[in-house]
Amino acid sequence: MDLAVHVEDLVKIYDGKVKALDGVSLSVEPGKSFALLGPNGAGKTTFMRILTTQIRPTSGRASVFGFDVVHEGDKVRRLISYVPQEMSVWTDISGYENLLIYSKIFGVPKDKRERIIGEVLEQMGLTDVKNDLVRTYSGGMIRRLEIACAMLIKPRIMFLDEPTIGLDPGARKSVWERLNVFKREYGVTIFFNTHYMDEADLYSDEIAIINRGKIVARGTAEELKRSLGGEMIILELKGTDVKQEIIQELRNTDFVLNVFKEGRGLSILVKDAERALPQLIDLMKNWNISMERISISKPTLDDVFLKYAGERLEGKERIGEIMHMRRMIKGG
Amino acid sequence: MESLRNMLVMIELEVRRLWHDRTEMYTRAIQPILWLAIYGPVMGRIRGIPTGNVPYTDFITPGVIIQSTTFVSIFYGFTIVWERDSGILKKLLVTPASRYSIVIGRSMSSGVRALFQLLIILPVALVIGVRFIPNPAYFMLAFIIVFLSSGGFAAISILIASFMKTRERFMGIGQAIVMPLFFASNALYPIQIMPPVLREFSSINPLSYVVDAVRGLIITGEISNLPLDIVAITIFDVIMFIAASVSFRRIIE
Repeated sequence: MDLAVHVEDLVKIYDGKVKALDGVSLSVEPGKSFALLGPNGAGKTTFMRILTTQIRPTSGRASVFGFDVVHEGDKVRRLISYVPQEMSVWTDISGYENLLIYSKIFGVPKDKRERIIGEVLEQMGLTDVKNDLVRTYSGGMIRRLEIACAMLIKPRIMFLDEPTIGLDPGARKSVWERLNVFKREYGVTIFFNTHYMDEADLYSDEIAIINRGKIVARGTAEELKRSLGGEMIILELKGTDVKQEIIQELRNTDFVLNVFKEGRGLSILVKDAERALPQLIDLMKNWNISMERISISKPTLDDVFLKYAGERLEGKERIGEIMHMRRMIKGG
Repeated sequence: MESLRNMLVMIELEVRRLWHDRTEMYTRAIQPILWLAIYGPVMGRIRGIPTGNVPYTDFITPGVIIQSTTFVSIFYGFTIVWERDSGILKKLLVTPASRYSIVIGRSMSSGVRALFQLLIILPVALVIGVRFIPNPAYFMLAFIIVFLSSGGFAAISILIASFMKTRERFMGIGQAIVMPLFFASNALYPIQIMPPVLREFSSINPLSYVVDAVRGLIITGEISNLPLDIVAITIFDVIMFIAASVSFRRIIE
């Protein structure tokens, strides 16, 4: 079976100077939800615009379900749908009319049109407002309408560029719940760009981290976090000090990577905290050590980003957000 | 077939947008109405411009209408620039619709606005006292000519929009195109009274051919030039559609 997305050594240089993509290679399996995570300006949008046949790469190859995005663009466009980062519906007509126009452009047969539009309105929870002008919609409703447009054809793959940018947490959750239902029902592959770590963490099957036009790491959210070296189990103990022999014995246990003693507590570095914890509790019982409190400290994707990109995502994100807001205001 | 269908969808879209909000069209009609209600009668009193046997206001009515519809079409490129800011254009490009059907479809849909503008101005002209040739077939043909030529003018604006990076810049340029086309045409005076250089320019000015065709059809009834006018407008449209389609790449990059 063809890979949903297959990219080899993709380079994009704008105006002969600006290197937006610097040799990106990756592949995405069909039916998966794939997140490209990185700060603004990392090359995410450029990458997506190449995959969706809008712009040509400077060098390298990219294909979607086996079709080359440069030479077989028309075939690619029949399989995909795309929601750009910027607003992509007409605000001076109703939500229903937007869907009607797009369904005609997509070539949805006349006899199926009404049924399909009704379905996507229902799936996106917009049936009640379908005849209102889009101008009156909230940000979350506009996003849902845009995704509804992308659902009109049952695409093999959906490209979403920052699908929940500027939405409040409730609206984000609602967008993703509906997307996941759609994905499950039709086996659609979802490829999305995001600079929200929690979004990549919660809603993707696989993540690639991009920074300065390069993929710096990839894997599932769990794998990426685990690749940092491990997770910390912190035990706060009751009563007496732990003997040195016990610490030594802990260090020799196979699932423990390291042990640090801090006051009355023990910090134990393990590979997988959830798996290690039951065994650890058994050990403590055997040694008659009673515990007051157990906590697990897990690395975040931000830690992952820090490790692979050498900088934190969070600080950059905020500046990017402000610049994005400015652009939106300027654009009216 | 598919491309034709996409063009019709773009036109349908424009009809729907206009249906929901016509305010812009009404405010845009103010200027041409002033030309007809004030400029026409005042200049007409001088009787200095040879307009044959038609009153001056009647003579300039087609020119004023075409100036107004051309403005509408040229500023339509502005919509395309706006759509570049927003994601609509990006999304359209990722649909199975071909690029040239998007360009031509968007251009032709400016004709919807142009015709609507025409329908506002015509009754006002009638009230002012302009006498039209009462021939429905001629009127239909004039409407079609206005519709088709609007597509060409909108394509000019798409072409220019592809070089402009900001909408503010575009506003000024839009004015700078329409006014010379208007003044260096037969809209307000016959070409014969122009200085030779202007006369030369006027003969390659597409606006002149549109005005000539529409004037013949709805005011004078003199349509011997009509085939030439239609050929000129067709050539203009085709060249503009090709140029706009080619430059379209620049808009998306």
